[in-house]
Amino acid sequence: MIEVRGLTKRYPGRTVTRNAVDGIDLEIPEGKLVTLLGPSGCGKTTTLRLIAGLERPDAGEIRIGSRLMCAPAEGVFVGVHHRPIGVVFQSYAVWPHMTAVQNVMFPLQSGQKRMGRTEARRRAMEALEMVGLAEFADRPAPALSGGQQQRVSLARALTREPEVLLLDEPLSNLDAGLRDRVRDEIRSVQQRLGITTVFVTHDQDEALAVSDEVVVMDHGRIVERGQAQDIYRCPREEFTARFMGISNSLPGTVQEGGQDMAEISLAHGRLRCLTPAAAPVGSRVNVFIRPESLRLSRKDSSGRGWKGTVEFSIYHGDCWDYHVRVGDTLLRSRMYREKVGLAHGDPVFVVPEEETAIAIADKIAASDGAVADKDESWAK
Amino acid sequence: MSLISRSRPAPPPALADPRRPARSTQGLRGWFRDPRNLLLAVVALVVAYLAIVPAATMGVASLQSQFLSTGPVHWTFRHYTETLGTADFWTLVGNSFGYAAATAVISTVIGFGLAYLVARTDTPAKFFAQVAALVPLIIPGILNTVAWALLFAPHTGALNVLLRDVHLPAFDIYSLAGMVLVQSMHVTPVAFLMGTAAFSQMDSSLEEAALASGAPPLRVFRTITARLIRPAVLSAVLLMFVQTISTFEVPQLIGVPGRTFVFVSRIYNALQAFPTDYGTVGVIGVFILVVATLGLWLSRRLSGPGAGVQTISGKGYRPTVTELGRWRWLGLAAFVLFFVVAVALPLLMLVWSSLLPGYEPPSWSALHHLTLSNYREIWHTPGLVDSVRNSLITAVLAGAVVTVLSSLVAYITVKTKARGRGLLDGLATIPLAVPSVVMGVGILYWYLSMPLPVHLYGTLTILVIAFVTIGLPYGLRYIVPGMAQIKDELEEAAAASGASWPRTFWRIYVPLLVPSLAAAFLYTVIVAFREISAAIFLYTQGTQVVSVTIYQQWSNGSYPVVAALGVVIVVFLAMIVAIVRLLTRRFGLNRQ
Ligand SMILES: Nc1ncnc2c1ncn2[C@@H]1O[C@H](COP(=O)(O)OP(=O)(O)OP(=O)(O)O)[C@@H](O)[C@H]1O
Ligand SMILES: [Mg+2]
Repeated sequence: MIEVRGLTKRYPGRTVTRNAVDGIDLEIPEGKLVTLLGPSGCGKTTTLRLIAGLERPDAGEIRIGSRLMCAPAEGVFVGVHHRPIGVVFQSYAVWPHMTAVQNVMFPLQSGQKRMGRTEARRRAMEALEMVGLAEFADRPAPALSGGQQQRVSLARALTREPEVLLLDEPLSNLDAGLRDRVRDEIRSVQQRLGITTVFVTHDQDEALAVSDEVVVMDHGRIVERGQAQDIYRCPREEFTARFMGISNSLPGTVQEGGQDMAEISLAHGRLRCLTPAAAPVGSRVNVFIRPESLRLSRKDSSGRGWKGTVEFSIYHGDCWDYHVRVGDTLLRSRMYREKVGLAHGDPVFVVPEEETAIAIADKIAASDGAVADKDESWAK
Repeated sequence: MSLISRSRPAPPPALADPRRPARSTQGLRGWFRDPRNLLLAVVALVVAYLAIVPAATMGVASLQSQFLSTGPVHWTFRHYTETLGTADFWTLVGNSFGYAAATAVISTVIGFGLAYLVARTDTPAKFFAQVAALVPLIIPGILNTVAWALLFAPHTGALNVLLRDVHLPAFDIYSLAGMVLVQSMHVTPVAFLMGTAAFSQMDSSLEEAALASGAPPLRVFRTITARLIRPAVLSAVLLMFVQTISTFEVPQLIGVPGRTFVFVSRIYNALQAFPTDYGTVGVIGVFILVVATLGLWLSRRLSGPGAGVQTISGKGYRPTVTELGRWRWLGLAAFVLFFVVAVALPLLMLVWSSLLPGYEPPSWSALHHLTLSNYREIWHTPGLVDSVRNSLITAVLAGAVVTVLSSLVAYITVKTKARGRGLLDGLATIPLAVPSVVMGVGILYWYLSMPLPVHLYGTLTILVIAFVTIGLPYGLRYIVPGMAQIKDELEEAAAASGASWPRTFWRIYVPLLVPSLAAAFLYTVIVAFREISAAIFLYTQGTQVVSVTIYQQWSNGSYPVVAALGVVIVVFLAMIVAIVRLLTRRFGLNRQ
């Protein structure tokens, strides 16, 4: 288990205007995999390095298991090499002057609990076997491909059976096909060993695929956290909704509240939406609609369609994205069928799917103070 | 053919002008029609001439029964059997190796130790070490040697006086230990620079991974840091060794008075003797050459697996800084000590002796004798002003030639796919492995023995040739990276606008390369200005350069004038170095 309280880190320097990590509270239950997800520069790596002990925090406490790892207030700081961790670095950090198996043996021979050569080699081979690299054991590390090096680095992090596994964008240097394979491998090994894991990524699909829980970060703070499917299905914050790729957003007003669901009136019509928080009747909301939840048809058979015209389309291989102008907003609709044969200027009806759009309370409208707050956060 | 999908446009066609494709098929004549191929041929010939001639001449001289004589000449191994058979030669080998090896190890250990403190720890006031690293560029070796000889002169040396005052035995600088001390102080800053580069380019996540594996910091240093830095250490040791074994000033000024001979001083003194034994000199020269080449080859071999691997990664790279806690004051002490010993002592000694009519150790009473007369004396010393002018002329000419030549070599090796460019690249680096005494003696032999139409011996041209050869690898070091940063598209866009190749080179490459060109030029000027190890064999009456004059004045015992001249030169070179630094920083030398 990892427990983090009020973690704060500011890098020194004249040009630094804000904390890289700004008061993070987090607990990661035993045996779970939690991803830190957020845009570039939001402080994911810094958080991970603080947990690993590679950076010293300015404030806050970190516990691994029941042991206090660091508490600047009390002057406690356990060095990296005394922490029960395994780290996989973004750049792999596989030592080029050693073979694969020597890399994996290193923690067993140089770490806190040391063992003899034969025992270390046996355990290292087990770890290599687990990541499917046993046959490459005696290759010099630089003679391995990127994906193989990444798996060596995973095996190395796991051999000494750490309490906690820390992964910093472990897949970002791999090509698309390999990324999926290594990702599945990491998840399966993690679940098999039941090891508490922090996984840093900026890719929402990757995060959804591997995590028990997703922590969304921005500007060094936690925006929201939750189970992968909840974060995907019904994000609570606009930032999350946008970051998860829900690109259509329309202003609306709550007509009728209800349990988890509300009837919202929009400029073009009414829509039943999910509501992550209680939405009082009459309050202003922003409605986020996934492109896949907007269907296009030439005829308005259901009577709920919004009339618009096609602006342009983009082909993605397995789907088409149509950009349709409805009134003065541009909506994106994703169609997984064969090309519907729509071209620029064609009139079309946009039919929103019920009960999948998300209505999030509009903070700008809610209070003037919030307006200033928001402006500031964008200005940064 | 797809024009858009190609991710990187093909390099400019090397074999043919695209506008006249039909002619490219005419074999050799077609090959020469492209101005770039003609250029390649010319540049390759020039570089080959510069690089191979000195070493080859040396080899020939060592294998001929007579050199430079009118009698019949035949090939023989006599010089080898005679020279290698004497005990004297092997004493010479022992001395030379002991001297060079000790210097190489000491300077590398100190240099890399300081580099580690600067690049990887939180030791305060790194400024001292960084300033000290600039010194070898500023103080010519001959002046450094003179300064140390003054500091440790047996009876009157300032430091020996000090030692005697505290009842310690005086240090005899005229010994092997003295040679090692002086030469180490002179080359340590170079090792420091190499170490700084190596430590700050190392991907620190490799060390962090070891820490995160549970290894304690000292063990991480031993198993990861030290191991990854090994190739850099080896190449530094080797470079120091080759430099030390091939430079003139310390062996001659410090070694010879104490009757400790090494290769260089033996060659020099053999050439002063009459009749000159060219064969033996040739044998010693070839021996040095072989040792230097072997050393270079060895360093490549020894660096072992992982040596050629880039340990520099882009994303996620952060240099980690080890916190030393209270120990950092010890680090600071090391900086200050190094600064004092390598910079302050020799410089202060020069300034002090330049202000006295005759040398005396620093004391209150000596203060009354302070005078600027030595600086006036510089103008009245015969030949001195001439030698300064000679130095300036040769250094500037060499700088210009090196700049032009190395930008052409860089263009051919970096930007074209012409056949033979690998060979050119190899040729241009040969001078690195040729010790400068071999360069000097080889060039001397060549121009003495060759029936060339123009007589170059005894002219400044021969000095320029030597300086160009010595400076070429350094010029390339500045220009190749600059050239590599210029995108191919820029040349292609010019060609597509209809510009001829020479015009493209002049209008596109030259302006973009200005910072690199300027740095290469100024650096070569400095190198040539300080050079003595080759120049000492090549000057004649009337073509003395300033380093040679300093040596002669020193031999005549005019220490105060030497010191005054030294101070002037140091100030002059310091200004050039400041300009180079400003240029390289201003333009970053890494414009995309
Ligand atoms: N060594 C440093 N010195 C100064 N500022 C730093 C340093 N390292 C990171 N920062 C700053 O701290 C902030 C958080 O950086 P961090 O590396 O944690 O981001 P990240 O979320 O991992 O981003 P990415 O997805 O790009 O890796 C950034 O604004 C960054 O510029
Ligand atoms: Mg990061």
